[in-house]
Amino acid sequence: MNYDIDRIRNIGISAHIDSGKTTLTERILFYAQKIHAIHDVKGKDGVGATMDHMELERERGITITSAATYVGWKDHHINIIDTPGHVDFTIEVERALRVLDGAVLVLCSVAGVQSQSITVDRQMKRYKVPRLAFINKCDRSGANPDRVTNGLRDKLGLNAILMQLPIGLEADFEGIVDLVEMKAIYFRGESGEDLEITAIPESMQELAESRRAEMLDSVSMFSDELMEAALEDAATPELIHDAVRKGVLSLELAPVFIGSAYKNKGIQPLLDAVNNYLPSPNDVPIEALDLDDESVPVILESDVEKQAVAYAFKLEDGRFGQLTYMRIYQGTIAKGDTVIQTRTRRKLKIGRLVRMHSDKMEDIEKATAGDIIGFFGIDCHTGDSFVSPGPRLAMTSMHVPEPVISLSILPADNKAQTNMSKALSRFSKEDPTFRVRLDDESGETIISGMGELHLEVYVERMRREYSAEVETGAPQVAYREAISRRAEFNYTHKKQTGGSGQYAKLAGYLEPFDEGEYEFVNEIRGGAIPTEFIPACNKGFRSAMHEGSLIGFPIVGVRVLINDGNSHSVDSSDMAFQVASRAAFREAYRKANPRILEPLMRVAVEGPGEFQGVIYRSLMQRRGNIIGSVEDAGFARVEADVPLSEMFGYSTDLRSATQGKAEFTMEFSRYAPVPRELSEKMLADYRSSKKDGEEKK
Amino acid sequence: MTGLMFKLRRSPRTLLERDGHPGPGPGHIGLVMARAGVGKTAFLVGLGIDALLSKQNVLHISLDRGVDKVREWYDDLLLGLLQRERKVQHLAGIQLEIERHRHIHTYLNDTFSPERLQASLDLLMNFGDFVPRVIILDRLDFEHFGTGGVREIRDLAENVGAELWLACRTHRDGPQAEDGHLPPPADAFERYIDTAFSLDPYDAKIRLHVLKDYQKMLDEDLNILLDPTTLLLETGFGANRS
Repeated sequence: MNYDIDRIRNIGISAHIDSGKTTLTERILFYAQKIHAIHDVKGKDGVGATMDHMELERERGITITSAATYVGWKDHHINIIDTPGHVDFTIEVERALRVLDGAVLVLCSVAGVQSQSITVDRQMKRYKVPRLAFINKCDRSGANPDRVTNGLRDKLGLNAILMQLPIGLEADFEGIVDLVEMKAIYFRGESGEDLEITAIPESMQELAESRRAEMLDSVSMFSDELMEAALEDAATPELIHDAVRKGVLSLELAPVFIGSAYKNKGIQPLLDAVNNYLPSPNDVPIEALDLDDESVPVILESDVEKQAVAYAFKLEDGRFGQLTYMRIYQGTIAKGDTVIQTRTRRKLKIGRLVRMHSDKMEDIEKATAGDIIGFFGIDCHTGDSFVSPGPRLAMTSMHVPEPVISLSILPADNKAQTNMSKALSRFSKEDPTFRVRLDDESGETIISGMGELHLEVYVERMRREYSAEVETGAPQVAYREAISRRAEFNYTHKKQTGGSGQYAKLAGYLEPFDEGEYEFVNEIRGGAIPTEFIPACNKGFRSAMHEGSLIGFPIVGVRVLINDGNSHSVDSSDMAFQVASRAAFREAYRKANPRILEPLMRVAVEGPGEFQGVIYRSLMQRRGNIIGSVEDAGFARVEADVPLSEMFGYSTDLRSATQGKAEFTMEFSRYAPVPRELSEKMLADYRSSKKDGEEKK
Repeated sequence: MTGLMFKLRRSPRTLLERDGHPGPGPGHIGLVMARAGVGKTAFLVGLGIDALLSKQNVLHISLDRGVDKVREWYDDLLLGLLQRERKVQHLAGIQLEIERHRHIHTYLNDTFSPERLQASLDLLMNFGDFVPRVIILDRLDFEHFGTGGVREIRDLAENVGAELWLACRTHRDGPQAEDGHLPPPADAFERYIDTAFSLDPYDAKIRLHVLKDYQKMLDEDLNILLDPTTLLLETGFGANRS
């Protein structure tokens, strides 16, 4: 398939849960003639939406994995990634945003800007993704696009400008007024596929004129030409499109479109807006790092003739082996080409190249800069870069949050054990926020992830896809330990048991380090410790941080500085310095006033205003610190930092306390010290469990 | 940490300290007046930070910005204060400490009224275990809110024992202040105002005028200059007293 790179759009569709992203994508596929029938998200017709291809997704009516597809719309090629709305699957959103050039933020016309919209918007800002907003569900009772647009301004700080007006609302929602063309658009035919474009209804003419004037006022900030034309009442659609595009690309404007995906209204104009306003790969400057030249930044160009550079953003294990989703940033990659995996320097041959459409695929011969495609037969990790022979270029990596919750899993029998291993190996490779480890003491397999639902889905997938029946333990919080003051060490490791002995001495201090997990500073002068043993010291200190002495969780935020020491010409070795470093660390750790840290979650609860008190109480009862609250036309949103350990079972409690009318989302906020009383209890519990373990031995 | 927090205080609020209160004290109502764009919001955030650094509970009310935005203002200002003292390593700890003492409340789409404020205060005190000692109310439209409204919110603050800070926009081309009175529109409700400041751009800085102090109108210029970015005093409170 050959197309002009200026006519490629790589877009994501992101939103709060249940705002209708998947329904919208289904309509886009239908109008672009990619599918020939529309199916519902929850699969009432037994089919389910095309993009929710996983059985579990169809049952629960939520998107768990991001699916990729592409459509052709008016000479443009649009690659679409439909992304999950639940914050537990946030890595899927991050993955999508990393490789996309633009996005459509979908909002519910009744609920407006919700907590997950805020999270998604924050992610879009992080990756500088230009965006359009689509206010969906205008047919719903209580629909109010003006209020939602104000919410985009107030809550997200976006320069949101309505580009359309609704003709009727709620059950009377009939069509839209296009403020650029100053025409009314109605969506006729069985599935809204026939557009009827007419004059604006007389009753709306005045409103449309004034809203167009407001729109021009904002948009003309991005084009002197439009400003002059607007003053002379001669603004043409071309001038407006050009100015809006400039505003969107500079991230200073978010044009707002309206419709109802479920009622098949407003989708085709939204697709026109994607073509008109969102960037092509040529519009987005992409930076790679030249690993052969001290990681100097290199600006990539969407030139099909240049060295190929591609980035693996998602892996899936299927019946044909590992499928790697790639975004090509520069050059061309064809079947049979040799590419180099930047991280490992391994040469790999491209066996099979496919274009994805949900879980279906189409074999292709080659793909060029700007494209999103799938490779088969490549063993790699998420975040790997691939280049054709030439400089070793790597794309900067994605933000991967640390898991905050763990669960022990126990296979039901030997068969389940084998299948579970296969499943875990696949899941941990696909999802960098899903981790697996073996607990040395209990011998249990521990899985960690971003939330209860995240782990629940993987356990369910083990059962369904791998026939691995597993029993799960109670969820465990990923605590950490940290020091709170500086403490010195001066330790000598001496051992003589016949033959050559072990000798290492080192001095320095530990201190709290807020900027990362660990830093090692060598201030040894005059060779007190020979240079060749310094890496061993570093290794010893680092390994001491794997398990703290308070409750056995990893230690974070420590700067270790060594400034003195001693060695012996015969008895000193790497091993001796590693042992000495570990012991020195333990010695100083006790003096550095160590504390237990717990993950705090940023919890946002939304519900009718009358439940605000109940919501407050529910959060306070869980040791929540209320950060803020928003009141808006009968609705209230309360935001709080709540320890993760207190959030288990919250959804059931909230539902019963608010008659099911409030909902919440949460995402990791930060680690904070556990209150003294609780900390003492945890210490006592840990000591007693350790003692029990020792007695059993 | 407490020593450092004390040292970071640089808001003009420190000038009003009296009888052991870190600011003007409970039931006291303060007003900052300036033209659009001079920095009334930044000034109020500075006042809020000052109260938080003094471990006082602060209720910051915004009528047009979300919680995230207001929080960002506080975080940016705190970071700047710590950078100046070369103590950025304490950011996370102080942030956590001040968040325990701060509540941000936003009323969007004209939902603010004295009744709503009363309801919010009841909620905070009864369900949130939070009694504000300082209430900051930004972006109140006095022309529409009226003198009665100002009196009502003053009474509410007094009842909970909080000091209340408001910001009021003045107009370059509007009527000027009459002798012995606050500039319009604040002259209409000046009897409820205990302390009033005005801010004026002056030679790449902002000049702070104390218009009224403890119910007494002042006409002398104390020549207090503020940093134009942070709207804080050049010299810190702790530094003056160490």
